[in-house]
Amino acid sequence: MESRRVTNYAYLFLIPALVGLLVFRLGPIAAAFGISFTNWNVIGVPEWVGFGNYLTMLQSGEFWFILQNTTVYALMYVPGVTVVGMGLAVLLNTGIRAAPFFRGLYFLPYITSTVAVTLTWRWIFSTRFGLLNNFLKWLGFTDPPAWLADPNWALIALATVSVWREAGFFMLLFLAGLQGIDPTLREAARVDGATRWQVFRYVTLPLLAPTTFFVIIIALVRSSQTFEVTFALTEGGPNQASTTLAFFIYQNAFIHFDMGYASALAYLLCILVGLATLVNFRLRRRWSYA
Amino acid sequence: MRDSGRIVRVALYAALIVYGIIAFIPFLWMLVNSFQSEGDTFRLPPSFVPTLIVDGTPFSNYVTVWNERNFLRYFINSTFVATMASIGQLFTCSLAGYAFGRLEFPGRRLIFVAILGTMFVPVEVTIIPEFLLMRGLGWLDTYLPLIVPSFLVGTLGTLLMTETFRSMPKELEEAAIVDGAGLFRIYYSVMLPNAKPALAALFVIAFITNWDELLRPVLYITDPDLRTLPQGLMTFVSQYEASWKLLMTGAVISTLPLILVYLSAQRHIVQNFMGSGIKG
Repeated sequence: MESRRVTNYAYLFLIPALVGLLVFRLGPIAAAFGISFTNWNVIGVPEWVGFGNYLTMLQSGEFWFILQNTTVYALMYVPGVTVVGMGLAVLLNTGIRAAPFFRGLYFLPYITSTVAVTLTWRWIFSTRFGLLNNFLKWLGFTDPPAWLADPNWALIALATVSVWREAGFFMLLFLAGLQGIDPTLREAARVDGATRWQVFRYVTLPLLAPTTFFVIIIALVRSSQTFEVTFALTEGGPNQASTTLAFFIYQNAFIHFDMGYASALAYLLCILVGLATLVNFRLRRRWSYA
Repeated sequence: MRDSGRIVRVALYAALIVYGIIAFIPFLWMLVNSFQSEGDTFRLPPSFVPTLIVDGTPFSNYVTVWNERNFLRYFINSTFVATMASIGQLFTCSLAGYAFGRLEFPGRRLIFVAILGTMFVPVEVTIIPEFLLMRGLGWLDTYLPLIVPSFLVGTLGTLLMTETFRSMPKELEEAAIVDGAGLFRIYYSVMLPNAKPALAALFVIAFITNWDELLRPVLYITDPDLRTLPQGLMTFVSQYEASWKLLMTGAVISTLPLILVYLSAQRHIVQNFMGSGIKG
């Protein structure tokens, strides 16, 4: 077929996707950049303030506190989903017959309604009537924490729910990676007298490195976008103790209607995620053969 | 040797079952409490006995939530929004996937990279201008802002359909070209029918994602009659915080359809998630 006609058809087919790309992706990305240099409460006219929002941000104690929360959260969430996801995948990849059943069970938290399961967790964490504290009391802990109401524990509870919810998703990624590894390699190592741990440490883990790398990147991006779970579990409290940057942006934009400041925060978030990804790419050369 | 093998097997199953319990307990807790009376949900120590079933009025919480708490309406809203958005994904992503996967044209790489690249921009960046756009269009408190963005933007879907179409044999369309069919007819009557499994998986994934969406309803919907299920559940928390039995009943109602949808297409979904690894 004539190539010009093919081109015309191709662009015709791409019209919906291109409209989506321009109106809901590229356009907003550019607009947010502009808004981040203004002071705007949505109702009035945006006022140009240059780098004002960025300066306010860097000088605000609250911002640094939120940034610390975001980092601590990522340091719990990323290793959490990576270790649990990889562990489950390795266990399921041992060739047991019930593997499809357990795989489906572990994936369940990920595909069900986030708000519904998070609200259930909210009750499980409840200080007096919650399942968790009653279980802990049964185990002999006399004074378990108030979890969601305790500033020292709220962020940890938030990370726990997120890891619980998403570990199954990362398990699937690891399972896909494991299936790409030739099982005869493991068998050969076993025949040569390697223990199960040695096979995992010196055969499976290095060969799985490309998947692990991909998982960490995805997990990092995910850890920066916490909204639903925060909203349904703690609403960022107590006293912002479980507010991460993404939720802080929501608060500034849609509770305080400070669009300029929120956009500046959003761009900062974008840059931080980009930097973390870049660092990961650098480090990759050290720990991955792929 | 054989004994150590048996010990390993027992340990393996023990680990799998322990994590299985951790994964499942919140669902069990939700379900049990939707069949309990108000007093039983506050019993110490907590009880897993579904007392209402024993009492002979098992569905009284469900009747209350469904009729008096507007959940019928939320259910209809969620179903409508998720269905429309998912149909849109099929339409937009299959067309784009056909262009990317089967056609050679200038700008192909650039557009593909732009679509993939913007996926990594956090939603926090785009949501503020999107909100302003929706407000400017006068779309607040309509279904449109919940449907249109998902209808037109589907990175995972585009990837999935591109790969699906690319992997089809060349002979498939050659016969049609000899018959003098145009590209649109090839797409519609040759490509689409051969991509049914991928389309089914895409529909289910898009349905689950849209059913689960919370940020957009929270921003765009204030009219109680237009609320979606997750949003309706959240209003429960502020209005009836003490009534865990009703909240858990609502949670079951929002969760059950997704579990059914998931089970109906589990194999396709697992394969496609494993293949592409990205939701949204």
